[in-house]
Amino acid sequence: MLIRLTAPQIATVVAAMMVIAQHSSAYAQALKPVAVHAAQSPSAGQGTAPPAANQYVGESTCITCHDQKYTGTAHGLKSNERTPAANMGCESCHGPGKAHVDGGGDPSLIVNFRTMRPQEASTYCVTCHDRGTHALWTGSQHDQRNVGCITCHSVHDPKGDHQLKAASEMQLCATCHRNVVNKQFRAHHMPVREGSLACSSCHNPHGSQNVRLLKVGTTIDESCTSCHAEKRGPFLWEHAPVANACVTCHDPHGSNNERLLVAKRPFLCQRCHVTSRHPPTVYEGFLLNNSTNANKIVGRSCTVCHQQIHGSNAPSGQFFLR
Amino acid sequence: MMHRPVAFALAALLTAASAHAQRPSLQPAPEQLPEPRPPAGEPAPTAAPVTFGSIDLGFRGTTTSGDAAEYERYRDLRSGSWSRLTFDKRTDMYLFGARAYNIGYRDQRFGADYRGGKGWLYGSFDSIPLNYSDLTSTPWIEQTPGQLTLDTAARQLVQAGAVVGIPQNAAQLNTPSIYRSIANPFRLESLRQTGAFSGAYEFSRNLTFDGGFLSAARKGHQPWGASFAFNVANEVALPVDSRTNDANAGLEWTRPRGMFRVGWNGSWYDDHINELVWDNAFRATDTNPFDPSGYSNGNGPARGRMAVPPSNMLNSVNAFAMYKLQPRTVVNGTVAFTRMSQNDPLIPWTINPVIQTPAVFAAFPNLAMLPRATAEAKVDGLNAVLNFTTRPNRFWGITARYRYNNHDNKTPLFDGTQYVRFDAVPEATGGFTEQFDIVENLGDLNVHFNVLPYTTLRVGYGFDSFDRTGRSFSNMTDHTIRTSIDTIGNQWVTIRAIYEFTDRKGSGFSEDAIEDGGSQPGLRFYDEADRSRNRGTLLFVVTPKETMDVTFSLAAGSDSYGGPGHEFGLLDNDNQAYNVGLNFYPSEVVSFGANYGRDHFVSDQKSRNANPPPDPQFMDPTRDWMLKNTENVNNFALYADLPKLARKTSARVTYDFSDSDNAFVHSGPRILSLAAAGQFIPLPNVTNSWHRLGTDVQYFFVPRVGVGVDYWYERFNVRDFDTIDVPGQPGTPRIDYLGEISTGYGNRPYRGHTVFARLLYLF
Repeated sequence: MLIRLTAPQIATVVAAMMVIAQHSSAYAQALKPVAVHAAQSPSAGQGTAPPAANQYVGESTCITCHDQKYTGTAHGLKSNERTPAANMGCESCHGPGKAHVDGGGDPSLIVNFRTMRPQEASTYCVTCHDRGTHALWTGSQHDQRNVGCITCHSVHDPKGDHQLKAASEMQLCATCHRNVVNKQFRAHHMPVREGSLACSSCHNPHGSQNVRLLKVGTTIDESCTSCHAEKRGPFLWEHAPVANACVTCHDPHGSNNERLLVAKRPFLCQRCHVTSRHPPTVYEGFLLNNSTNANKIVGRSCTVCHQQIHGSNAPSGQFFLR
Repeated sequence: MMHRPVAFALAALLTAASAHAQRPSLQPAPEQLPEPRPPAGEPAPTAAPVTFGSIDLGFRGTTTSGDAAEYERYRDLRSGSWSRLTFDKRTDMYLFGARAYNIGYRDQRFGADYRGGKGWLYGSFDSIPLNYSDLTSTPWIEQTPGQLTLDTAARQLVQAGAVVGIPQNAAQLNTPSIYRSIANPFRLESLRQTGAFSGAYEFSRNLTFDGGFLSAARKGHQPWGASFAFNVANEVALPVDSRTNDANAGLEWTRPRGMFRVGWNGSWYDDHINELVWDNAFRATDTNPFDPSGYSNGNGPARGRMAVPPSNMLNSVNAFAMYKLQPRTVVNGTVAFTRMSQNDPLIPWTINPVIQTPAVFAAFPNLAMLPRATAEAKVDGLNAVLNFTTRPNRFWGITARYRYNNHDNKTPLFDGTQYVRFDAVPEATGGFTEQFDIVENLGDLNVHFNVLPYTTLRVGYGFDSFDRTGRSFSNMTDHTIRTSIDTIGNQWVTIRAIYEFTDRKGSGFSEDAIEDGGSQPGLRFYDEADRSRNRGTLLFVVTPKETMDVTFSLAAGSDSYGGPGHEFGLLDNDNQAYNVGLNFYPSEVVSFGANYGRDHFVSDQKSRNANPPPDPQFMDPTRDWMLKNTENVNNFALYADLPKLARKTSARVTYDFSDSDNAFVHSGPRILSLAAAGQFIPLPNVTNSWHRLGTDVQYFFVPRVGVGVDYWYERFNVRDFDTIDVPGQPGTPRIDYLGEISTGYGNRPYRGHTVFARLLYLF
């Protein structure tokens, strides 16, 4: 959750933790060479031997030079046996520190995520974060594009929830997906910019069994109808493009067209309904001002009659009129 | 050819190591009041080291002109109190946080989370209003949920032709409809309230259970079409009262080499209003006997009935497994079985008593009774995904993915050959329900090469094949080739670029499937038509110094539709978007930034305006017309963050702008002939512009206590031919336009000002 400590507050916390650690039996426990997954090597869990216990120097040594800034986060929970705090502290992720200390703080003698390729850095994180919503990370779309854990998250200096490097998901995702985020500022949009939803309300950036990194369901429709369940059906009378994918007609990120449609009605409907009589009628200004066909142009346009456009459960609903 | 010094310089540029080029913009979160913060450099509040929070209370005053509901949209900005409470307790044994926002208002939110020991818990209550319009009105009265009535006397006068009810021609537009005079203004809005909790518990280091429950209620009204004929269209305020309950549970077993998970998801949607019954604004009595042309001339029933979205459910069980192989190889896979179903009682063929007679049943025997009493609708889904990733060394790797998805519609066929159109006319032009089954096979193979330190080149191929029933192509397959390059971890520059080419081809084309629906044989539906697609994006971030970054991004796409015999429908669809942004944070007391983006969209579609066969018009190319839709959108964002504007004072300013110019240009021989007959007027462009300004100033008397003043300003201007105003009253919706009685809902301009005065306490 939110970590909003000012620098002086952090210093106070660190100092307090140092005192606690030095007088705690847990401090002695932390020095025991526990077979944690992280920091041994990226292939941890694949048969490599852990470093020797005498290669670890203990967190109190680390914080003589470095601010220990993960207290107050999930990584700092000693009550959870899987966290760095319950194991080797800083060295759970950064590896044994003796060489680094003996080398006068040589940064090349410690696991330094800033100098790593993101994919390589991620292999450390996934030695623990390899379950739940992170289980499909390896090989996912972001992982393939060299977007790593540390691209978006900061263990020591987060700005927002979930240890993000930005105050909000929208700001963070805009770093690469600016053209998508810009759609939030269009006349019709989901309530992301208002703060009621976030990018992760629909997407799991860590990998998903669904397409487009959608986090719920196995198709686009299943994802959308997890909230818009009234459109899930199944209906007696189905509308073919709806059964295919909601994005055939809608742009979920934002649109200047009503109902987040990709094009304005009736022209959107006329892309497919090229029949006879009123569907392919030329809807223009003369009809708009002189004919009852204006009801196909103004307001709800085609759906003022074909309201059940997502599917109808009425026996007489073949044309989505009822 | 690159000269050697330049090549070396480029290599040096790409090999320097730093994470700074990845810094995201630090602009404030939009549309949220900035949280309390003491100014930079001032003494921090001496809070307890692991307990902190804020009490942010105050008042809010809002004034608007135009459509106030559109200003609010998903927010409740009524004048009144303001509140934001946060509490966090952080120890090395547990984390606890609680939040409360805008207490007592329609957008209030509450949340609490606990993490400690072997598990975590999260709970929330979220209220999201959807404010459609403040300017709407309706002559219908909601007698009971789902039943809308109109004044009987008014309907009788309309039916008798004594007054204008629904204007039928331009002359009648000069006379206000009787319904305009009896319409009641109301605020068209709905509210979605969601309560949820979730949690996980680790029985051991290797075994975790997680689960959750969510209940979302939606109440209010939404605009809804409910019509009786081509010339009798109605837009009403549909009452909404539904609840969705979702539950999920999963058990996960993890070992260093792999993991296995089983899970279940259930969802139940319950619509408390199953049907809509509403009075006809054109008639007070049923046309008796029925008029075979009643669907086009308005001689129909006195009332209509339609089925609104049915209650339904979804259940899904899934399993996931992952295994780590040597060296640096991971295989994972998922399988999910899903069933979606609904079995709501079916409403009768019609509510019109004139049609429910032996005389009509004699001609339309199927209308005497329903084939079945309930929907019996059911879809089964099977989804399987297999991923393989190997990175045997630092220089290259492979990622492969296969996905199978089967959407199997098992709803028994329903014979709707004979049905009742608009509750007005029995017809035998219907058919059987269609089952749109979809089987998808997706394969993807990508190989990446780390050609230079911190630079990855990727090439890939993918196919996405759909087998469908009920469509004009029984199969369509996308073949995609892609290449991308990513240069990151560099102190000065980040480059991300990707290009994809996709070629879609359909097979098993059935012209009968097109023509059975009365369509032109040259029509191809764009979601399955042959298509060539080119897409590319480029992201370029330059960080000349640690305190500054400049971003340039470009995205472009081009879809071209065309295959054998493809003549009508969507023909092409192009888009380009570019953004330029700057963030500058020279010190801890100032940061600012700006971003400009422009999007351009163009699409072309073709149609033919004709009577059906055997009228020769149907095959006459002089009846063809085209539409080019061009939209240009500009976005601009500016922010300045001054955490030390003055002693004990911080300030923040944000400005956002977006506009759109959407043009619809008809062309072609049909347009020329209409124009020659004086029956074509080009549609005006649809334009809008939106401005938002936000300012926040906070002054802290002492580190814990301060005051804040905030000002929000928003202005939305719009010109849209599909929103009609009362003549002489710009901004007042006209509900009685040609061929319809509506609520007046539509995009309308507004201007809003909101001022906050806050008392801030930090602990």
